[in-house]
Amino acid sequence: MFRDIKKKSSPTNQAEKDKPKEIPIPTSKLEFLKKIKEETNEPADLIVKKISESITIVFLDFLIDQNTLNEQILTTLEKMNDATPNIIKENLLISEVDLTSELNKSIFEMLIGAVLIHVEGQSELVIAKISSYQSRGLTAPENESQVIGSQVGFNESLPTNISLIRRYITNPNLCNEKFMLGKETNTSISVLYIKGIASEQNVNTVRQRIKELEISDLLDSAVLAELIDDNSFSIFPQLLLTERPDRFSDGLLSGKVGIIVNGSSMGILSPYTFVEFFQSREDQNLRWPIATFVRLLRFAAIFISIFMTPLYVAALTFHYEVIPQPLLVPLSESRSIVPFPPIIEALFLELIIELLREAGARLPTKVGQTIGIVGGIVLGTAAVQAGITSNILIIIIALCALSSFTTPNYLMGNVIRVVRFPIIVLAGFWGFYGVMFAFCMILIHLIRQSSLGVPYTAPIYPPRWRDWPDSIVRLPLPFINRQSIINKPKNSNTTEEEKVNK
Amino acid sequence: MRTALQINNNEKINASLLFFVVLSTQIGVGIHGFQRIIVEDVGNSAWISVILATLFSHIAVFFMIKTLKLYPSNDLYGIHQEIFGKYFGNFLNLIYITYCSFAFYTVIRNYIEVINTWVFPNLAQAFISVSLLILVIYAFTGGLRVMVGVCFFSFMVSLWILVIVFFPLKYAHYNHLLPLFHTDFISLIKGAYSMTFTIVGFEIINVIYPFAKEKEKASKYVHLGLLFTMVVYLIIIVISTVYFSEAQLKKTVWATLTLFSVIKLPFIERIEIITICFWLIIILPNLCLFAWSAYRGVIRIKKIKETTFILVFSVLILIANIPILTRAQINRFDHYFSQIAFYIVFFYPFLLYMIALSKKLLKKRERSN
Amino acid sequence: MKKEKLFIVLLSCILLMGCADQKILERIGLVTLIGYDVEEEEKISATVVIRQINPEFQSKVEVQTETENTSKGTRISIDRKTAKQIAAGQLRVVLFGEDLAKKSIEHPIHTFMMNNEISTSIYLAVVRGDAQSLLAYPYENVTDVGQHIYNLIDHNIEQQQTISSTLHEIVRDDYSDVRNFALPILLKKGENIQLDGIALFKKGKMVGELPANDIFYIMIMTNKLDNGTVELTLDGETLNNNKFKDEQLQIAVDSIKTKRKIKVVNSKQNEFNLTVNMDCRLLEIDSKVSLTDPKVYEDIERAMSEKIKKEMMKTLKYSQEVDSDIYGFGEQFRSQVRDSNLTEEKWSELFQNMKVNFDVNVEIVRNGVFE
Repeated sequence: MFRDIKKKSSPTNQAEKDKPKEIPIPTSKLEFLKKIKEETNEPADLIVKKISESITIVFLDFLIDQNTLNEQILTTLEKMNDATPNIIKENLLISEVDLTSELNKSIFEMLIGAVLIHVEGQSELVIAKISSYQSRGLTAPENESQVIGSQVGFNESLPTNISLIRRYITNPNLCNEKFMLGKETNTSISVLYIKGIASEQNVNTVRQRIKELEISDLLDSAVLAELIDDNSFSIFPQLLLTERPDRFSDGLLSGKVGIIVNGSSMGILSPYTFVEFFQSREDQNLRWPIATFVRLLRFAAIFISIFMTPLYVAALTFHYEVIPQPLLVPLSESRSIVPFPPIIEALFLELIIELLREAGARLPTKVGQTIGIVGGIVLGTAAVQAGITSNILIIIIALCALSSFTTPNYLMGNVIRVVRFPIIVLAGFWGFYGVMFAFCMILIHLIRQSSLGVPYTAPIYPPRWRDWPDSIVRLPLPFINRQSIINKPKNSNTTEEEKVNK
Repeated sequence: MRTALQINNNEKINASLLFFVVLSTQIGVGIHGFQRIIVEDVGNSAWISVILATLFSHIAVFFMIKTLKLYPSNDLYGIHQEIFGKYFGNFLNLIYITYCSFAFYTVIRNYIEVINTWVFPNLAQAFISVSLLILVIYAFTGGLRVMVGVCFFSFMVSLWILVIVFFPLKYAHYNHLLPLFHTDFISLIKGAYSMTFTIVGFEIINVIYPFAKEKEKASKYVHLGLLFTMVVYLIIIVISTVYFSEAQLKKTVWATLTLFSVIKLPFIERIEIITICFWLIIILPNLCLFAWSAYRGVIRIKKIKETTFILVFSVLILIANIPILTRAQINRFDHYFSQIAFYIVFFYPFLLYMIALSKKLLKKRERSN
Repeated sequence: MKKEKLFIVLLSCILLMGCADQKILERIGLVTLIGYDVEEEEKISATVVIRQINPEFQSKVEVQTETENTSKGTRISIDRKTAKQIAAGQLRVVLFGEDLAKKSIEHPIHTFMMNNEISTSIYLAVVRGDAQSLLAYPYENVTDVGQHIYNLIDHNIEQQQTISSTLHEIVRDDYSDVRNFALPILLKKGENIQLDGIALFKKGKMVGELPANDIFYIMIMTNKLDNGTVELTLDGETLNNNKFKDEQLQIAVDSIKTKRKIKVVNSKQNEFNLTVNMDCRLLEIDSKVSLTDPKVYEDIERAMSEKIKKEMMKTLKYSQEVDSDIYGFGEQFRSQVRDSNLTEEKWSELFQNMKVNFDVNVEIVRNGVFE
């Protein structure tokens, strides 16, 4: 898949070489058909229909709307015997009709979903764009669920997704720029932003990064996200992938730049900082004390999830003095039956949980749930009784796993789960010192990271005090500034500073 | 002026961040055992010495900033080159670079000593140095913004220690503080002098001042930082005075860490082990910024890349850490260092300001003639 | 690529270099209590209670004794006898035999302070007789003698029924020139271990002892009391009540708040004023006394003040005789008199000739739900 990925390669020479030669359209019908079959390698779904002596239509089956073809095009064309392409173009009751004299362009349009109308003796083709293809109906997003809030998610069709967004943001300033990426796939992507709210700098950066890409194919937006982000080596995601149109629109309204890829049900939002990965749309739907509590819970969950197992390993391996007396007896008695040192025990159990989770994700839903419960309970109890692990460690690991699932974003949740492993290893070798070393390492990495040029730890550092009310806690609406400074918006206050409740 | 620095606006840092920079470069390894040294001279009025020492530091910072303001957009190294010419100026710069390197080395040495005594008696010293140096290299290569970020987070993340330090007050005997004001002034000055090792660190503004965005507010934040450090040291010295008896304090090498030893929380005991390992993030800003100020001096003399500098610097420090020093040797070394630091940090800014001012006045007189 | 290679080489060097010594929890023998006794020829005998972590065995602890020249020497000898490595990080209580206490405990406590493994919140206590017999005895009801003694001392300190003797406080008072410390005394009586009194020390040597009931008065004088319970016997004459003229009235009170103030009245003649204001709660009194009469309260309060004053004078006199200032009079003197320049000998002299004017004010604030 990644045969030919080049970022920011030398610009024009390569492009020039790859641009195909322009082939003119043969005027003779037989020649034209022969040429088309040659260029498209004679696919089985290529349909050629002779309408009259001079008019022939060519199209790919299942890519066009049959009804329009039958009712509009065929009926109209039957009446036109000696028409030139121009007249045909004017008489066709189709919204998108075009004329072209290049064969490659017409083949390309046919591949997207168009009917080519060839008139004998003319070197111009009429292209009637009537594409329609099957796509999945709109369903609730699977990976980002909310308790209260809208339950519609993106699907794989680019026009549908854009229409969903336009339903949320009915604004002429919502700009939509189209690009085609991937030499072999020619995937179309749309860059969306709201003019006047998004900063020009961000939009230019995104545009430039997309233009500089030279890849052979693009199948999913996650791949695109990894190609255009600031640091591909980092474990932390720098762009948000979301399935929810309301989250996407919220991002656009805050000044972010969004990208939608055809064929992928995830939209990309950039720039995105570390703190924002732990915010969910639901926080806006709930009342502010509850939302604040839930956000603080999430942050506490990160720390618990990353550090609790390593602290357990470190305390039991090196620092037994730290354990208070009431805990000493249960801990030591439950550990006494285990033959391995704490680090092996912890890694082993973590591995089992990861296997369970991964297996549960791949299995069909009905079987997956059973395996989850069975695996969790039975394996856990059996492991304790067999003497491979201790009770307390199972509780700790289960707690850590639960905490890692509270992140509203699937990517960040993965990060938390994976980051735990090296820290456990460090804790097993160097105790609390190792844990602290890992903490500093992660901290420095986060500070160094940037997302589209914006520091990853904003708004905590560099401290933008105005954005603090909506970052880790969620204060009531009059205190929140709609446009956070990290998106460098043009007008930073949407409303004047009047109290909402008079 | 040819020695002035050209700094882009997006490399500059906010003036308010200077508060965190000064705070985190001052609090380092000195705070572990400074009580013993002051109480030797001053007894239970040690808290007065702390206030006096902070006063002197305010005065020193005042002169430093005044000197820096005389030469806009220039740091100490450039000022040396301006005033004393290229060769003598570079010689002074070399002294200052050596001072920064020694400060770096002192911090690492003392921290390794603390870890080896309290937590891991058998852990190889070279390992601790290497792990610290890895962190320093990683932060250093991120640039000034990352290093100031480390200062900021180091402060935020360590606030819980300030809360925990009040727990030993359960055993406090407040009458240790009385009678007040019974030591003579000379002893108080001597006590303030012994605090040099603990209180230095703020001379970083010599090198970081041109990078601040709003220069007028910069001095306010630096003074605020000094004040906050004073509050922290005051809290610790007062708690130590009421918690320990004087003779006991004179024998306790790392009094602050022994303070933590008696705290018992419901889910954890022996906090000092956690605190000592946690100290890693408190000394990290010290290390990064000392290395950075040495780097800023070295590029005045010869232009080398950041990564080359930090790698060479780390290798040198690693080599310097190889001989294992005894407790007495480290004590002696700290003593020498604090003597040198006293002259460079407290005495020299005043001298430099006088020289700079007189030079400026001379130039003005020449111009007017 | 060169940078990455260098980094990997560096990383592997680190991994080979740093090996911290592991002390995995269930693989070490946790010492929870040590008892020290003196043996002949300046040797020290250590009895060590090690926590056993074997759920199958009945006895939870292992008790070992060794005699060597130093306490670390005894640790080495005990290591040679036990299956697991000895680690002292979870040490909670240290006991000293009476003979060792009378000789000097300064050396052991100095060793503890030097040791980074041991926390300064461990409890110290003196044992009547020798520690070994107290620890090695197979008790019927006590499975873990280390835990038992720790809990015994701990909850009594919480309830202020015995003097708080953490290592920190002992070392603090030992190194202070003008103060001395006291330790609780443990006694084995049949199947029970009980707190039998308070041992007064001077310069690390045990010089006297007070009965356990006097803890109330000691605590008042050191101003630490806010929770203690005491039983008083009031003389009938002080009560001014016909019913009890020749009898004694037994009451029990619980103190709610006690404030004591020591003031140096005359520094030359070493005279102190000790003022105690006590708010207390009446727990138990003879049912014949009618509590509905407010005048009865005044009588009881007056009688209590007298009794407490008398007892405190007695306790203080005894402390002066053995020259052990555990109350902090020396510190008060030094803090209130400028340029006192107290040394150990000077204060010792002053303490023995000290005169204290007691002033006790008792107020009964509450008395239960039934009158």
